[in-house]
Amino acid sequence: MPKLYSLTAEQVNTGIKRRDFSAEEYISQILERIDNIDVKVNAFIAVDSKGALEKARLIDRKIRDEGGKKVGSLAGITIGVKDNICTKGFRTTCASKMLEEYIPPYDATVVKRLKDNDAVIIGKLNLDEFAMGSTTELSKFGPTHNPWNIDYVAGGSSGGSAASVAALECAASLGSDTGGSVRCPASFCSVVGLKPTYGRVSRFGLIPYANSLDQIGPIGKTVSDVMMIMNAIAGIDDNDQTIKVPYSRPIYTLQPRKKIRIGLVRELVKGAEPLVSKCIYSAMDLFASLDCVCEETSLNSVEYALASYYTIAMAEASSNLARYDNIRYGFDFGPDGYEWNAYFAKVRSNFGDEVKRRIIVGTYVLSSAYYGKYYLKAQKIRTILKQELKLLYKKYDVLIAPTMPLLPFKFGEKIDDPLKMFMIDIDTVIANLAGIPAISIPGGFSNDLPIGLQIMADEFQEQKLFDAALLFESTANIHRSPELYW
Amino acid sequence: MVSRDTIKYLGRLSRLELTEEELVKYESQIEEIIKYLDKLDSVSLSEIEPIHQEKNFCELREDNTKAFEHNTLESVRNRKDDFVKGPRIL
Repeated sequence: MPKLYSLTAEQVNTGIKRRDFSAEEYISQILERIDNIDVKVNAFIAVDSKGALEKARLIDRKIRDEGGKKVGSLAGITIGVKDNICTKGFRTTCASKMLEEYIPPYDATVVKRLKDNDAVIIGKLNLDEFAMGSTTELSKFGPTHNPWNIDYVAGGSSGGSAASVAALECAASLGSDTGGSVRCPASFCSVVGLKPTYGRVSRFGLIPYANSLDQIGPIGKTVSDVMMIMNAIAGIDDNDQTIKVPYSRPIYTLQPRKKIRIGLVRELVKGAEPLVSKCIYSAMDLFASLDCVCEETSLNSVEYALASYYTIAMAEASSNLARYDNIRYGFDFGPDGYEWNAYFAKVRSNFGDEVKRRIIVGTYVLSSAYYGKYYLKAQKIRTILKQELKLLYKKYDVLIAPTMPLLPFKFGEKIDDPLKMFMIDIDTVIANLAGIPAISIPGGFSNDLPIGLQIMADEFQEQKLFDAALLFESTANIHRSPELYW
Repeated sequence: MVSRDTIKYLGRLSRLELTEEELVKYESQIEEIIKYLDKLDSVSLSEIEPIHQEKNFCELREDNTKAFEHNTLESVRNRKDDFVKGPRIL
């Protein structure tokens, strides 16, 4: 029998329900695994051993007493949660000094739904401070390492969410994706990461970075694990008014179908490193050999996407982060004796470098003299991009591209040049700007480093993403879990 | 052109105390970022509407008050009785 911690979410769920092993046995193995491995990976900010074991015993009792009928659809599955998603009574820090002692009084809707379905929340996962970054090097708790090679970055900002799943420290996880923060680390760590349609999954309880772009998404070892979690977390929520009504409760199913029409986005493949584009072209060949209709296509507004994305993200961030005044939540530094503005300026200087830089640029682009020059234009670019995509989706079921234009790189390689770091988000920001769903699945390896294949579908067409992703996954057979030989 | 004074001023607007060292570093970095965002100027957008939320007002929930069942003051460190204590205004 394989080690329990290496099982997929589906296998764990089936095993526990069939009583092949107990939830408690499984959780104990997971906790031991985290103990052994996380010293090197640093995916977790905090592990909830006590809560996880209690929940496991409860699940075992339910199965023993009621024969498994009343147990939830995610029973026993260990899910790690990015530390910018609120967990009731459990510290939620955003990897920032500014929230280092924040204990939320409520659960985010997604967390509540996971718990209601008997998933086991195993702990909180590392990220770039306030989800601003693409490598998870910018966390107050130190960087997360890539399980495939610990000298390399795990991607970001949900680096802990992807690395923990790849390193078999939990079966699945939740991340958040504002400009690629789920898909980038999923690509770098060779796991499956989904950014759902904007308005598909409630953001209530997600500490906001850029509201018009943010979306919570699951990460798993397989496409069907991700589907399973989506079935539990998606749908209407009174606490998030951006959820679209006509699509209340989607049920995603396993039905790989052939004759998928696939467009490969030329600009994104051409802009990638040769090793990466080679891998994406082979993916297209594979699809073609499976009776899919594949062709290259063009997305002209790609050229302006990054400028539009960073204008909007930083503008919204500067306004969102205005709330951190260290009065209602924050670190230990009392306001006694301080003048109003001086106090706020003093405590807020504890934001990290990247966060401060984004607040300043955001304040600049929103200032009245420049509003029309930047923010308004950026919002217009979104309209053009959306129109262009609508036309493409009349012709294709899905579009494919690299998730990241480059292979994972070593620590410190890009950290001193913020603009250079921004550039690597070019392939992922498209989906956030247009609000469409996109998934990153393991596409192959080059020099022993993972390459992610990105699939994008039209709004609310997650099922089409899954169809294409399942077809590729079941045929390409890409090796999934790093043998942790270190 | 983004000068050091501009950055200082933006810092003041966004309530961020910036050290001399930070000002020096940010000056060139932010200049470079803004120059990149200027790319938005190179496309003609006068005919285009900015993106907007597609939801209608009637689809939004009623604007009624609802009790928040959790004790929000519990985690506030700076308190006096049932008040939140802040810095002085004058």
